[in-house]
Amino acid sequence: MFPTPIQKRPVAAQALYQGLLPIALIMWLLPLIAVALFSIRPFSDFGAGNYWGWPSSFEMFHNYGQVFFNSDMPRYLWNSVLITVPTVVGAVALSCMTGFALGIYRFRGNLLIFFMFIAGNFVPFQILMVPVRDFTVSAGLYDTKLGLVLFHIAFQTGFCTLFMRNFIRALPYELIEAARVEGVSEWRIFWYVVLPLMRPATAALSVLIFTFIWNDYFWALVLTQGPNAQPVTAGITSFNSQFVAQYHLMSAGSIVAAIPPVAMFFLMQRHFIAGLTLGAVK
Amino acid sequence: MNPIVQGLITIVIGVGGCIGYFYGANFVLDRFIFPAKGKNAGQNINRANMVRPWLFLFPAMFALGLYLVYPVFGSFFRSLYNRSGNDFIGIGNYVTLAGDEAFRTAFLNNVLWVLFVPAVTTFLGLVIAQLTDRLRWGNIAKSIIFMPMAISFVGASLIWKFVYANDPDIGIINAIRVGLGGEPLDPLQVPFWNNFFLMVILIWIQTGFAMVILSAALRGVPEETIEAAIIDGANPFQVFFKIMVPQIMPTIVVVWTTITLLVLKVFDIVYAMTGGNFGTEILPSYMMNFMFRDDGIATAVAFVIMIAVMPVLIWNIRQARAEMR
Repeated sequence: MFPTPIQKRPVAAQALYQGLLPIALIMWLLPLIAVALFSIRPFSDFGAGNYWGWPSSFEMFHNYGQVFFNSDMPRYLWNSVLITVPTVVGAVALSCMTGFALGIYRFRGNLLIFFMFIAGNFVPFQILMVPVRDFTVSAGLYDTKLGLVLFHIAFQTGFCTLFMRNFIRALPYELIEAARVEGVSEWRIFWYVVLPLMRPATAALSVLIFTFIWNDYFWALVLTQGPNAQPVTAGITSFNSQFVAQYHLMSAGSIVAAIPPVAMFFLMQRHFIAGLTLGAVK
Repeated sequence: MNPIVQGLITIVIGVGGCIGYFYGANFVLDRFIFPAKGKNAGQNINRANMVRPWLFLFPAMFALGLYLVYPVFGSFFRSLYNRSGNDFIGIGNYVTLAGDEAFRTAFLNNVLWVLFVPAVTTFLGLVIAQLTDRLRWGNIAKSIIFMPMAISFVGASLIWKFVYANDPDIGIINAIRVGLGGEPLDPLQVPFWNNFFLMVILIWIQTGFAMVILSAALRGVPEETIEAAIIDGANPFQVFFKIMVPQIMPTIVVVWTTITLLVLKVFDIVYAMTGGNFGTEILPSYMMNFMFRDDGIATAVAFVIMIAVMPVLIWNIRQARAEMR
């Protein structure tokens, strides 16, 4: 069997490998570790030049308390939740149906529409900026969460449909035919036969879209402007200009902003990776 | 009203609306428009089945038309008008761009990004996938490598600001430089190389993606081919690069193009790190300068990005079509 299992290699090579890999991993995470360390230091440490040494005291509660109670951070976080969750629900619901239509029915224009969805998936979002902004402004949705949600749903539908359609295509078609022969109506086939089988795909897609939307910065900049509607990605930059040079708060803020998607990733790792693999390689 | 309640109500209305629409539309179609009874029952069933896919597709197509198809064309036409949007100036905006020094810098930098980031990311992902695959705690290692992928580009940039900070006490790079007896400098102001420092951030984020996909592909390589190569006396490097890599070439290409597409669109990193100063501008961040100032130029830049994406897009559709046959 190749490669030789690491356990059967010479001891020196083994030790080198086992020793170097953790070091490499720590290097990889060094930026994060540094920021995490900064975020629990007292402010006086920075004045005293104690940047990298042992913190003179642990000010975790104080620093994070500042972020949560003395800034707009909670509002930004909450905005992010209110933008992300409806988008995930809406985009997944819509794409289940379009995926079903494109995956199950053979009709004229099927392929054409499918290619349109693929193309939509690749269109650089920059090109949409001016018309979408103008449209949002004239619809009175500028600087509202609803405006962002509507746009995100529409834009993510392309990718989601692609994903769902490929998944549904891989389902055994006999199941659907059997149901049809039994005289089950199409709507019930969708609801009772196909939808339950799509559960793994919906889970994977939801996790994926959650991180996509949560991490969006471009549209947050284009379509919103204040703490009323701005999600945390845009909020963190205003937070940083509010607490400029207060490194302990800036790093605590960065950590807070990064935690939800990272937590989501660790909790749903399996689905996340399944989603990426399904999305990239059919 | 309590925002939680508000959010919940929005979701209920949205999902309820979707379900209601599909149930209702199918119901009306089957019962009233083309009922499966009477003297035209057979014909009606066929007709209903011709209409049905469009019922399922309509909401998504409507949304996509409104937010995607119309804006693409709208942008193109907008790019032919001047700043106020009143006067038609043809390719005037494009001429302005071609004459702008900053645009050329941004364009060349973007070429650097497109060449460098996907190559390094894919290579790193491939090597890490292979190195961690047969390790007992390989999965933990993978999670760690993969974690940055979950952080937003802005969030990652802010974190990396601590790495690149000018102050030797804060910045890791400068701390090391000073520790080795050097002078502190601002890595982001070093001409030319600062582009690569910014690219490192994107590579840091995306390597996990490449690794996950490629590791799945590497596991799919048939053992027999590898065994045969070893029996024939191939060394581990030959096995990896001449046996395994060629077999997962299609996946490598997919990863490569996915990252290339991403690189063409990412603006967050440059925008948050340098704001495009010190010669680090790339097209998407260059465009942000005009966001609320000159829509004509902004859309023209967007269209240039669109043209750059076009070959990859067409190639992808070709690929999808070939798979379908």
